[in-house]
Amino acid sequence: MTVWQWLRAPNPRLLAGATAFLLLAAASVVGPWFTADPAEILDPRHSSLLPPLSSCTHLRLRDGTVLVVRDAAVVGSALHARHGGRALTVPLEQVAAREDRFHLLGTDTLGRDVLSRLLHGGRISLAVGGSALLLALGVGIAVGMTAGWVGGVVDAVLMRLVDALLAIPTVFLLLFLAAVLRPGLGPLVLLLGFSAWTGVARLVRGQVLSLKEREFVLAARGLGASPLRVALTHLLPNAVTPLAQDAALLLSDLILLEASLSFLGLGVPPPHPSWGNMVAEGQEVLLQAWWLALVPGAAVAFTVMAAAVCADGLSETARGARHETT
Amino acid sequence: MLPWLLRRLLSRAIIVWLAATATFALVSLTPGDITQHLEGKRIAPEARERWRRNFGLDRPVPLRYLHWLAALSRGDLGYSWLYHRDVAGVLAATLPRTLLLTGLGLTLEVLGGIAVALVQIRRPHGFVDRLLNTITLTAYALPAFWTGLLLIYLFAYRIPLFPPSHMLSPTGELATGWQRAGDLLSHLLLPAVTIGLAGVGAIARYLRGSLLDERLEHYVLAARARGCSMSRAMWVHALPNALLPLVTVVGMSLPFLVSGSLVVEVVFAWPGMGRAMYEAALARDVPLLMGGTLVGATAVVAGNLAADALYAVVDPRVRT
Amino acid sequence: MRTVRWNLALAALVGLAVLPCGCREPSVAERQQPTAYGPQPGGFVIVAIPADVATLNEYQRGADATELTVIDMLFPTLMQEQPDYHLHPPSFAPRLASSWEFSQDNRTLTFYLRRDAFWSDGVPVTAEDVRFAFELQKDPEVGWGGFEIKDFISTVDVVDPFTVRFHFTRVYPYQLMDANDGHIVPAHAWGKVPRASWGQTDFEERLVTSGPFRLASHTPQQTLILEREPSYWGRPRPYLDRVIFRVIPDVASQVNQLLAGQVHVVEMLPPRLAERVRSSRDVELVEVPSRSWGFVAWNNRHPLFTDRRVRRALTLGIDRKSAVDTVYFGFARLAVGPVLSSMWAFNRNLPILPYDPEQARALLREAGWEPSPRDGTLTKNGVPFAFDLLFPATNTIRQDLAVIIQADLAKLGIRVRPRPAEYTSLTARLDAGDYAACMSVWEEATKVDLASAWATPGPAQGSNNFVRYSNPEVDRLIAAARTESDVTRAKVIFDRIQELIVEDQPVTFLYEAPRLVGVSRSIHGADINAASVFFNIEEWYWGP
Repeated sequence: MTVWQWLRAPNPRLLAGATAFLLLAAASVVGPWFTADPAEILDPRHSSLLPPLSSCTHLRLRDGTVLVVRDAAVVGSALHARHGGRALTVPLEQVAAREDRFHLLGTDTLGRDVLSRLLHGGRISLAVGGSALLLALGVGIAVGMTAGWVGGVVDAVLMRLVDALLAIPTVFLLLFLAAVLRPGLGPLVLLLGFSAWTGVARLVRGQVLSLKEREFVLAARGLGASPLRVALTHLLPNAVTPLAQDAALLLSDLILLEASLSFLGLGVPPPHPSWGNMVAEGQEVLLQAWWLALVPGAAVAFTVMAAAVCADGLSETARGARHETT
Repeated sequence: MLPWLLRRLLSRAIIVWLAATATFALVSLTPGDITQHLEGKRIAPEARERWRRNFGLDRPVPLRYLHWLAALSRGDLGYSWLYHRDVAGVLAATLPRTLLLTGLGLTLEVLGGIAVALVQIRRPHGFVDRLLNTITLTAYALPAFWTGLLLIYLFAYRIPLFPPSHMLSPTGELATGWQRAGDLLSHLLLPAVTIGLAGVGAIARYLRGSLLDERLEHYVLAARARGCSMSRAMWVHALPNALLPLVTVVGMSLPFLVSGSLVVEVVFAWPGMGRAMYEAALARDVPLLMGGTLVGATAVVAGNLAADALYAVVDPRVRT
Repeated sequence: MRTVRWNLALAALVGLAVLPCGCREPSVAERQQPTAYGPQPGGFVIVAIPADVATLNEYQRGADATELTVIDMLFPTLMQEQPDYHLHPPSFAPRLASSWEFSQDNRTLTFYLRRDAFWSDGVPVTAEDVRFAFELQKDPEVGWGGFEIKDFISTVDVVDPFTVRFHFTRVYPYQLMDANDGHIVPAHAWGKVPRASWGQTDFEERLVTSGPFRLASHTPQQTLILEREPSYWGRPRPYLDRVIFRVIPDVASQVNQLLAGQVHVVEMLPPRLAERVRSSRDVELVEVPSRSWGFVAWNNRHPLFTDRRVRRALTLGIDRKSAVDTVYFGFARLAVGPVLSSMWAFNRNLPILPYDPEQARALLREAGWEPSPRDGTLTKNGVPFAFDLLFPATNTIRQDLAVIIQADLAKLGIRVRPRPAEYTSLTARLDAGDYAACMSVWEEATKVDLASAWATPGPAQGSNNFVRYSNPEVDRLIAAARTESDVTRAKVIFDRIQELIVEDQPVTFLYEAPRLVGVSRSIHGADINAASVFFNIEEWYWGP
């Protein structure tokens, strides 16, 4: 089954999942250019916790103060508006600039635009998840290949190491790394990748073990191909499908893990928004503004779903391919 | 069979030891110690030094490790600095609570998953199947901390059917017998459902796949040919076969039973082992952390071993 | 028969699961039917606490505020501190000691104990117990967190079973307070515990108490229940049958349960939710003068912050009033100096630095920081003005403040990176001086003590002056204030210290956190004051 064949008759699930995922990624990458600055804090006491679909006006006065008001209207030579709970009247000559804002998803506890934080958060969550995935795949493939191919003592030592790592409760691993590495995006990627490579290593090792006794591999070795060449040209391509399937699931796991860590305050450091820390911030005001926790959580769920549908599609393709060959 | 098992046990024991040693190294190398976790209080530096001496933190790390090992060999898990009780006592108090929560969650998950898969398999690719497919997929994708918050918002505050947190209400704490059990159950339901929801999807999807494969197997076709109804064929013949690999899946989740879902315990203020370990890690309560790691790692290893053993029973080729 | 019973049990379980309303907690009002107006014995009060009580023995490690609250209901002190520390060093009322007197030279303090006080096992409370507590307080093996409080007390003598004498090495304003600090614990029961294993002993198992309440049950991480001690010797005796402490780590849940009537007292309301509590008909909001205050700690040894002009500029460049009002919703006061405004020693004439970005820019320029032509970032000798601002992860108030400060300082061209740190490693970094800036808080005692946080740290590692502030003049004055027994003269010295510290701005003083207490209106007779929320817990009663 080549790429061309697949493009002619694509698996509908894979197509749907991949499309959803790409759309999401595109929105996260492009979206922030079109929305407000997610870190902008203006007159926070009067701009916080606006409900979705609300609009407000930013007034910059001549003396430099910035007021966030609602229902602004010009009557005669004065501007009338509501500032917090109070009515406000400002003579027009005192207003230096006026900007109307629309908040599709409302504002958070410091008056920042939720939509733009959501998109920025998506950018960060996806980037962190994706980079961690690449890291986990790299390390996992290298270790798995080595263990499976070399075998013997090396295999035993590497696999016991994997087992031991898997046996340490993840919390300590993450806590330790979070404390030692100091919070930041780079360290977070390292941390997530480090916690995820063991599964990949096991999978790759299994694949290599089952493939290495197959005829075509034995033939290549017999013809004098170097082990590295055999590994790269024969073993890896044959392990791609299960690996891709595993990678899609791993990506969803990593995004969930990042969200959980950020929710506990150990993940993406503020002021960077991330879906996980947005839910944590929303938890504080659950009864006043439930949508603050709802929206970013739904975004996580949607992303994970897209990745899972991709994994499903991949496994269906694999099954289809197997039926074709047998 | 027996030497195989013995060899396995030995190698697994080594893994537990490795994991415990690695944890000890991790915690001891993490900056900060138990004397530094009190917030904003002015404590005389000399007092801190005294506590360090009392806890043996003035000794070098390798020596502390040997002391811990020596105590362990006497069956002594040590004393929790954070809880001011024996580590064994803390574990004995928190582990059953976590088992209760995760056990019920897992039960809900398995039963729910089987039920959903059986409904789906009646008419594969039909409307109900597709609908349930979407639902299980959604359930799988929901982050547990978020589902928990949502359930609390809906069923504890908006429609106050269940308590929002804890294991017992103050009245339940003073009560005995059925009243206490009922109180416990009402507290247990929301977090258990939160745990169950995440797993239902995975189990239903897995089971549906294997049942679909089984439908085409010869023995099912033979049963059908004998005039057996499809649903009966599924129940009597296919389900037991499809369940076998599921048993190993559940066996693999044994460690989860023990280590628990930390975020769910945090969201629901459930006083289980997950939270105790999290707090111990934050406060650098080394003895408690080590005790918890031992229990956790043993559970992981036992889970793997159980899964292996089941495989060996099912497929004797593995035994070599 | 057995199967039948099983089926019944199963049916009951299923019924409970299907009908969750069936096991809803009966509301407290339903359970506590008052019979008449006015104080009546009976009822209980549920208090939300953020973390569990780990030890009921104050002399194990340092007991935190919650633990001290519980300990105070279980163990006696010689006297009870009165809520008047804003006027002068606090005064005291009799408790275990019925009276006391100073010797002529003020170096000896004699307490006369009540003769009718008993431990819960029937043994009388005697001078021996007082001496035992003192012995524990000084014992290095025990490592009591407050042991330096007893620095100027050399010995405690038992004169007779009900008379005990404290000997001081110097005369100073806080002698009564220092003698009183720490609870009296049972010598006959706990004296047998070897000191070597003191820190690792479970005292809940060998609990012998002598307070208005005694321990009824404790489910770790969940609930701690105290019940009225029937043989309590003190007066008045409590009306309440029980005081129930419930561990609720999440503050928002604490408030929600307070409003729902599932909890009666929340000691630290988050300011964001205080307004909702105020508008509730069932709950009263009580504001108590604060004893904790927040500041931005600038590491005075960090190359960026050694210059006083730079530190002043940072303070001038932060709109503190607006930031504090935003995160505290107008409930907090702006902090001005190192002494809380509610303390008698507070200098009311301290200048408050304004929010003045222009002056801040000028000061920074004077100190050699020029905006780079490329992006406006301040630079000096090619080094940009950029640093990490630490705050404890999960503390949203300080996180919000850090984010606002970042936005304010960005306008000056200073690049601030707010960084959360898990609490224990944060403290370790502060102690080691491995930081640039941090959002910090101090909890103050009711005693004015500037030595531990502001005196130059000694060469030995470890000091509470993690800011590493050092001013020889301040050191000299602090030493002088410590031994000045005349309150008026001490006040003059304290005033001068505050002026010097504010001039140096070793930290940016931010806020005096409000102490917002939420109390159910069903609780009557509560005098919640600056000394303690449970100051007169004996007189609390349940009523309509």
